[in-house]
Amino acid sequence: MVKWKDHGSIVLSGLIVGVAAIVLVLLGNPANMGFCIACFLRDIAGGVKLHTAPIVQYVRPEIIGLVLGALIMALAGKEFHVRGGSSPMARFVLGFCVMVGALMFLGCPLRMVIRLGGGDGNALFGLVGFALGIFVGTLFLRAGFTLKKSTPQPKVEGFLMPAVAVGLLLLLVGVPSLLAFSESGPGSMRAPIAAALIAGLVVGALAQKTRLCMVGGIRDALLFRDFHLLSGFVAIFVAVLVGNLILGSFNPGFAGQPVAHTDGLWNLLGMVLVGIGSVLLGGCPLRQLILAGSGNSDSSMAVLGMVVGAAFCHNFGLASSADGPTAYGKIAVILGLVVVCAIGGLNLNKQK
Amino acid sequence: MTTQIATFHTHFGAIQFHKLCKSLGDTAVMMPVPRALSASCGTCVKFAVPFRPEAMTLEDLDSVYAVEGDGYRLLFRNEEE
Repeated sequence: MVKWKDHGSIVLSGLIVGVAAIVLVLLGNPANMGFCIACFLRDIAGGVKLHTAPIVQYVRPEIIGLVLGALIMALAGKEFHVRGGSSPMARFVLGFCVMVGALMFLGCPLRMVIRLGGGDGNALFGLVGFALGIFVGTLFLRAGFTLKKSTPQPKVEGFLMPAVAVGLLLLLVGVPSLLAFSESGPGSMRAPIAAALIAGLVVGALAQKTRLCMVGGIRDALLFRDFHLLSGFVAIFVAVLVGNLILGSFNPGFAGQPVAHTDGLWNLLGMVLVGIGSVLLGGCPLRQLILAGSGNSDSSMAVLGMVVGAAFCHNFGLASSADGPTAYGKIAVILGLVVVCAIGGLNLNKQK
Repeated sequence: MTTQIATFHTHFGAIQFHKLCKSLGDTAVMMPVPRALSASCGTCVKFAVPFRPEAMTLEDLDSVYAVEGDGYRLLFRNEEE
């Protein structure tokens, strides 16, 4: 009973996130992409024409909902603490690199779990790479890595990212002609705006309340042998797996998986980059969005880094497709690994 | 001896404090911050040696709580600004 008391809320939240992901696919989102923070930020970058890849342009209401759900829950729980100023440029660059890795793999850690639950074997390579990356990240933490503490900031600083989310929603609903909308490909596959927004709000609120984090689960297991956050990660997998089995959409295998490629090495290396970058940032892309909605402007910088990174990935042909990774994408991932390790190494505090 | 929990702004702060407690002969452990407490960094230190603000307030320290049954009582907050 003690265990249920301790872990019940995060397990329940994980199950709800998994169910929400399944429902969003039923309502129109791409297969195995009920939620994907990297893909959806990339779609938003395209929707506001920061890149012009025609198949991935749509201002995803799920992201708007996640930020606003976290904002509402943080305000309700008196946890809306406006802080920032902890190496903002390093966080921007780390966010950029995390996106380069995610678009090599074709998904953030949350979509990796969702892909696993759909039977996509390629995500196993991603999972191994992700765990490896987190392990390397924890080595930096143990060696004294720090981006220095954040400090309290003016209230307005914390409300700017939620304001951007509201602005995007107003554009999407009120003046859609200003935005780009994919007519084919993943960007054209979308659940109705209201359903996507509500799913985002619910998941955002739950993730704020429970600190759900894909990176935190494996990091805490490695650092402290603590499996609390990992239980949320596993719950999402179980819910998605059971949902797919019930609906007959569980397709185990490697070839022909939706919005995925079969290059194991680069699936792995992409997620190594995501793992290291996310540990240095203090959380996965989902967690960065949730913190950005909870008043943390450092996380907002990481989110902006991810958006700009996504735009670069599509403007310069770095993102993978179902055909596999690109040569430029491979170079970008290697450069990304060098950059995150340099940021890690150059921010070691010698006083440890 | 009262069990106390110290929260931090950075993981690095937790490492430093953990080391300080160890140097004082404490069997301090680092662990994830309990959900009931709020902190920007996810790591806390559980320790037993009585907290002395004048000697143990490191830059990245956030707060120190006494563990009382299922709850926590604030002992010290490292004020900012």
